[in-house]
Amino acid sequence: MKTFNLPDLGEGLQEAEIVTWHVAEGDDIRTDQLMLSVETAKAVVEVPSPYSGRVARLHAAEGDLVEVGKPLIDIDTGEGTAAAGRATEPAAESGKAADSGTVVGSMPVSDDELVETAVAGSRRRRGAGKVKAPPAVRALARKLGVDIGRISGTGKGGRVTADDVRHATATAAAAPAAAQAKLPPGTPERLRGPRRAMAQSMTLSRSEVCPCTIFDDADINKWAPGEDITSRLLRAIVAGCRAEPALNGFYDSASMSRQLEGRVDVAIAVDTPDGLIVPVVRGVERKSAEALRVDLDGLKERTRNRTVAPEEMKDFTFTLSNFGMMAGRYATPVVVPPTIAILGSGGVRQDLVPVLGGIETHPRIPLSLTFDHRCVTGGEACRFLAAAIADLERPK
Amino acid sequence: MAKVTLIEAITMALAHEMTRDDSVIVLGEDVGVNGGVFRATAGLQERFGPDRVMDTPLAESMIAGLSVGMAAQGMRPIAEIQFMGFIYPTIDQMINHAGRLRHRTRGRLSCPMVLRAPFGGGIHAPEHHSESTEALFAHMPGVRVVIPSSPARAYGLLLAAIRDPDPVVFLEPKRIYRLQKQEIQDDGKALPLDVCYTLREGEDVTLVTWGAMTFETLKAADQLAKDNISCEVIDVATVSPIDMETILESVEKTGRLVIVHEAARSCGIGAEIAAVVAEKGIYDLEAPIQRVTGYDTVMPLFRMEYQYLPSVRRIVDAARRTLED
Repeated sequence: MKTFNLPDLGEGLQEAEIVTWHVAEGDDIRTDQLMLSVETAKAVVEVPSPYSGRVARLHAAEGDLVEVGKPLIDIDTGEGTAAAGRATEPAAESGKAADSGTVVGSMPVSDDELVETAVAGSRRRRGAGKVKAPPAVRALARKLGVDIGRISGTGKGGRVTADDVRHATATAAAAPAAAQAKLPPGTPERLRGPRRAMAQSMTLSRSEVCPCTIFDDADINKWAPGEDITSRLLRAIVAGCRAEPALNGFYDSASMSRQLEGRVDVAIAVDTPDGLIVPVVRGVERKSAEALRVDLDGLKERTRNRTVAPEEMKDFTFTLSNFGMMAGRYATPVVVPPTIAILGSGGVRQDLVPVLGGIETHPRIPLSLTFDHRCVTGGEACRFLAAAIADLERPK
Repeated sequence: MAKVTLIEAITMALAHEMTRDDSVIVLGEDVGVNGGVFRATAGLQERFGPDRVMDTPLAESMIAGLSVGMAAQGMRPIAEIQFMGFIYPTIDQMINHAGRLRHRTRGRLSCPMVLRAPFGGGIHAPEHHSESTEALFAHMPGVRVVIPSSPARAYGLLLAAIRDPDPVVFLEPKRIYRLQKQEIQDDGKALPLDVCYTLREGEDVTLVTWGAMTFETLKAADQLAKDNISCEVIDVATVSPIDMETILESVEKTGRLVIVHEAARSCGIGAEIAAVVAEKGIYDLEAPIQRVTGYDTVMPLFRMEYQYLPSVRRIVDAARRTLED
């Protein structure tokens, strides 16, 4: 049961006259429902119900003068407390009006605790935002279906301009047209596994790298019989890297930065029925020919039975394609981004070689060095190849 | 540490500063014997005496004028206006004297007064007791307008306002006077004026608001978070001068801005914020700025007042509009 006392209806008036009761005893009443009209010296004020429940008793009749703080109405709410956050409950039972915290209306009250973190002021970190572009340019990009976040702006402060958007649209329109070569009727087979990986890395290379290939031969006439060609080729790569470190490492086109490496970790392309697999020989620069041969045999074995771990195939700094065991003399090997260069070696041949005073027949290894001309100069590549050849031509 | 409501935090700050500084005077209608219509000054006259907590006649222009005079002569008056609906007679004093005293005397005199008033709707008060007309004062040069939105900021910002050497109109959102409690230490530490307070950090939309509307705005941010829309919520706190740097910085991050205020839309402070973002942050905007405000009409009588006040639903809808393509 709740008793509602006549509140101070404002401006300190001590009493009010009941004009109309809008509810009768026994009525159901809801919170905020119009309950009665009272007339003060200034105006007729409409008083809403502070509770939901059933009207148990009206303490005054229409026309009565009621003093502020005296009981007006009893409402049976069916439970002990008023709804949280609603009007305060006058302490009718004690016969004295509680402080409702206001002279007019009803003050929402709760004991809810506010827990907040409030950071004062700014961090002065402007400038690290997203794309800068005028609304008209954003609208243009939306209309043309271009993701403005992928356009690098050429305007003031890196702003994307309308021309940038149009240029991006033109480039985007040209690219898919070229790629749309349709297959004739048939049953296409989706590339899987190593072949799929090859397709991806070769496509990336095609769209990124500016390749340039140099051809030359290494005369291995002075070699002792039974010399291990692959480990000699690896040693020659190390010699090339020492002479010209610019070919050993990585290049990132987005940030236009290169990262040259001291380590020489060489990926070796191995042909398998499932496609090209490229395991890595690590730390080539500090291994003997014998140690390299052990590594190579292990890798070859694991490659054949497909047990090469994924981590054995990544993070290499240079690539060797020893294709010549089958056929082919020279090639244009394809650089695998983000690396910078690849050396291809063709099959060893007996060539007629002019020597002082005549012609001799010497075994020679044909070499093809492809480098990414975006970050390597022709001079650097030639010096690399010269050093590699000089190393290969040594007797042991 | 005590858990106190916003109105109790006001009383705490007033008492703290009156204890610390003898030049602080409280004056207004019923602030003394009665303790104020909302109890902001309850008990102060008993503690500090009738010379420092003065009941005045019902004459708001006089209350403001008296405060200007006292402030010019080295006191720190804090005048209370019972409701924002009664504040308009003070405008002459505030715009013609308080705001320009420093300029008029070439810096010889300043006017360290605070004009306190409860404002805003939501307590079912009679006609003309519920408006939010902070923009009237924000348009006055030389007058600072400060609006707290939590007990902690009510305490810290009121202390800063009293200590500030220039006039401050301190508007108190009465709907949240007793809505929540917060732990506050009565340590006399002021909070900085003229800066926004970032209440929540987010990535997708910036919600800027002040006063009682922070309550609905935070609820809207909660709702949007359920749909993985991350909102940054900024309480402007000092609505004149506005710390635009914080708002611009946030818009640069999110690219989207929703301004929420209880006041009528036209020429509201939201319009000023939107204008500055258009001037200085337009290259960051990914969607049109949205305003969620009261309407350009007389505030309705109390049964309709929640139709007028921005709701959580309206704020959520506006935020979603900024994310539509």
